[in-house]
Amino acid sequence: MSKDKTSTPVEEAPKLGRRHFLQGAASSAAALAVAPAARAQNPSAFTASYSAPTYQQIQRDTGMLTPPAPERAVVRPGSDLMVQALRDMGIEFVAANNGSSFEGLQESVINYGTPPNKMPEYITALHEESSVDMANGYGKAEGKPMCAMLHGTIGIQHASMAIYQAYYSGTPMLLIAGRDDGFIQAHTANDMAAMCRSFTKWDAQPTTLEECLEALQEAYRQAVTPPTGPTMVVIDMELQKQEVRDMVVPPFRPAVIEGIDVNTARDIAQKLLAANNPRLNTGAFRTPEGVQAAVELAEMIGACTSTSAHQGPMGFPQRHPLCGPGADTDYDYVLGLEANAPDLSLRRPSVEMLTASRDTMAIGFGGLRENGPASPFGAPAPVQGTVVEIDAQASIPVIIGEVSRLMTPEQRSRIEERKARHAKANHDAFMSALHEAVETKKKGWNLSPVSTARIYAELWPLIMNEDWCLASPSSFSGSHHMQLWDHNKPYSYLGGQGAGGMGYGLGACTGAALAARERNRIVINVQTDGDFNYAPGAIWSAVHHELPMLTVMHNNRAWHQEFMFIEYMAGVRGRGTDRGHIGTTLRDPFIDYAKLAEGYGMKAEGPIDDPTQLAAALRRGLDVVKGGEPYLIDVLTQPR
Amino acid sequence: MKTMIPMVLLAALAGGLPAAALAQASGDAKNGAQVFYDQGCYGCHGYSGYGRKDLNNTESGMLSNLEVFRAFLRGRGDVAPLLPSTEMPNYPATSVSDAQVNDLFAYIQSMPADLPEAGDIEPFQSILKAAERPYSPQ
Repeated sequence: MSKDKTSTPVEEAPKLGRRHFLQGAASSAAALAVAPAARAQNPSAFTASYSAPTYQQIQRDTGMLTPPAPERAVVRPGSDLMVQALRDMGIEFVAANNGSSFEGLQESVINYGTPPNKMPEYITALHEESSVDMANGYGKAEGKPMCAMLHGTIGIQHASMAIYQAYYSGTPMLLIAGRDDGFIQAHTANDMAAMCRSFTKWDAQPTTLEECLEALQEAYRQAVTPPTGPTMVVIDMELQKQEVRDMVVPPFRPAVIEGIDVNTARDIAQKLLAANNPRLNTGAFRTPEGVQAAVELAEMIGACTSTSAHQGPMGFPQRHPLCGPGADTDYDYVLGLEANAPDLSLRRPSVEMLTASRDTMAIGFGGLRENGPASPFGAPAPVQGTVVEIDAQASIPVIIGEVSRLMTPEQRSRIEERKARHAKANHDAFMSALHEAVETKKKGWNLSPVSTARIYAELWPLIMNEDWCLASPSSFSGSHHMQLWDHNKPYSYLGGQGAGGMGYGLGACTGAALAARERNRIVINVQTDGDFNYAPGAIWSAVHHELPMLTVMHNNRAWHQEFMFIEYMAGVRGRGTDRGHIGTTLRDPFIDYAKLAEGYGMKAEGPIDDPTQLAAALRRGLDVVKGGEPYLIDVLTQPR
Repeated sequence: MKTMIPMVLLAALAGGLPAAALAQASGDAKNGAQVFYDQGCYGCHGYSGYGRKDLNNTESGMLSNLEVFRAFLRGRGDVAPLLPSTEMPNYPATSVSDAQVNDLFAYIQSMPADLPEAGDIEPFQSILKAAERPYSPQ
């Protein structure tokens, strides 16, 4: 792939030739517009090689000037084939804040095919950060890529924060950056993907249409192959507009993801079957199929199993009878599947393996720092036992095959007895933890402002019989769902921001709601106010695309974590904490989120500070959401 | 512009202030509520005394009487910043006066306890009941 090449104009096919038109128009207009006297006073101002946009360019970008009609209309533009390639790969949505560098592609998304604007559907975003956050939320919920289109260098920079978070989350997504060489200099570059190469997995800048189609397919394969993550294809405007005549999209070859070899699988199977009390430690799998495979293995061998489902997506079902500590915590063989284990762990490679090849400018971001911590949030978990760096999801079927082949009738009978003992013990352990949690969560139940625990406690009985997805990060609002709710689906909870950056929640929930809309699911967004204000335009996207998303504001009128940090800093310096609110709180004036949402067209209510009013508001909101519209409830809350 | 204590906090104070506590406290609980808000104590202790560190119904020795409470704030102030050993900020007299400490202590003493029986809370009853249901993968 020609990722290091810069593009060159494609010569062989009819083109709109806007750049030639603009260059000519610009020069003649400049000649008219600039007075000879001014030219004489400062000649260098008119000879700079990189100048500000011309009057005509700005007119074109603002829609005041249309390009000339070509001599012959393009019958089959290259961008139609690009959209067909996305369709072949099952890309459901393309989110974008429009930009002239991908106008060919955008026109194809909305007009090409039968039906048009379906698979993929164009999703209107109000900011590129929202576009990519949507792709992040969708990717976490479904375990497969969504597409976001970015407009030149400026779109990539707008999107970069969200790409960075997706990278740390390992979320597969396909980014397309439009490139229009020769139009506005500031919007293009020779190597545009370089701007985010340190936090994307793979990129390409094809120079021909054939290369472009191949690049889109490879970008998809790279995104879903461990280590999963965002990939980018930079596509020149000329390729989008090129007449393709009888060219067709090559058949898509799915990624081949390797698992362990049969001999290793046999060894694991023998140990699992020989153990009196085997255990599976499980983490996040790549897709829902991985979760299902883990369930099948656990049931086959009767192993009690840990879960990460309450901490993020693609985890083992939390209330599965085998999920929990089991009847006996003295395990004699522990297998890790995307998790650490004292005996053997199968874990797919992490993004750190990309450092040498991707951090080409030695920026040294976060976990990519040489010799730095593997995670921006703390030291990596200590390694136990043997670790095999390989995809667990692809390995489990091989292990299941060997277990099935080796299992004796006597072992089968013993396993059934063990499963029954585990089921009872796990149920008792869960109920004990739940009773304990309730005693903690009831504190301040009746007080105002509303406790964050009450939000989660009131929500759960109202949604527990629905197909739901909690898409918002919960660490800043107490994570009460972790103890109170059941996380049994791969998408029950989508986890944190990835890199801990604010502004992720609203966009990610909107993306998760795109997936939900197609699957008769609802999305719950317990939305912190600080995060909301980075890119609130996602509210409009949710309304416009009729997304089933209930937003409950955790409105503590602050960036509360920072408030506490400043309080502490001022306190240890003995200078008083009475000015800690400066720069950390959202007061004077308070923000009215219901009005704000209504301004974007969303049904909303609040602010609610009386806890007795909360349940009725949640019911009203859920009724609207189940009817296919988003809803926002502003709740004034305790700080945490 | 100085932000006054939110009305919801005043309402909670008015509704929940035990007369006995007012009588026993040497400071002014209403003034203490303003100190509690202005100093950002709610950041960790919640607007109502329930937070990362609860103030309601605790048996913390630091809240046993006014003198100990003042010494706790001041003592921490005396060693700061050399020994910033906990997350609790330090409050020397230059940042919180003795009178304000008295008011603050009165306010903390007046904080209403709110620990209803879980069995009396409908959502918790529903949650506990539902958790007994057998697992269904669908």
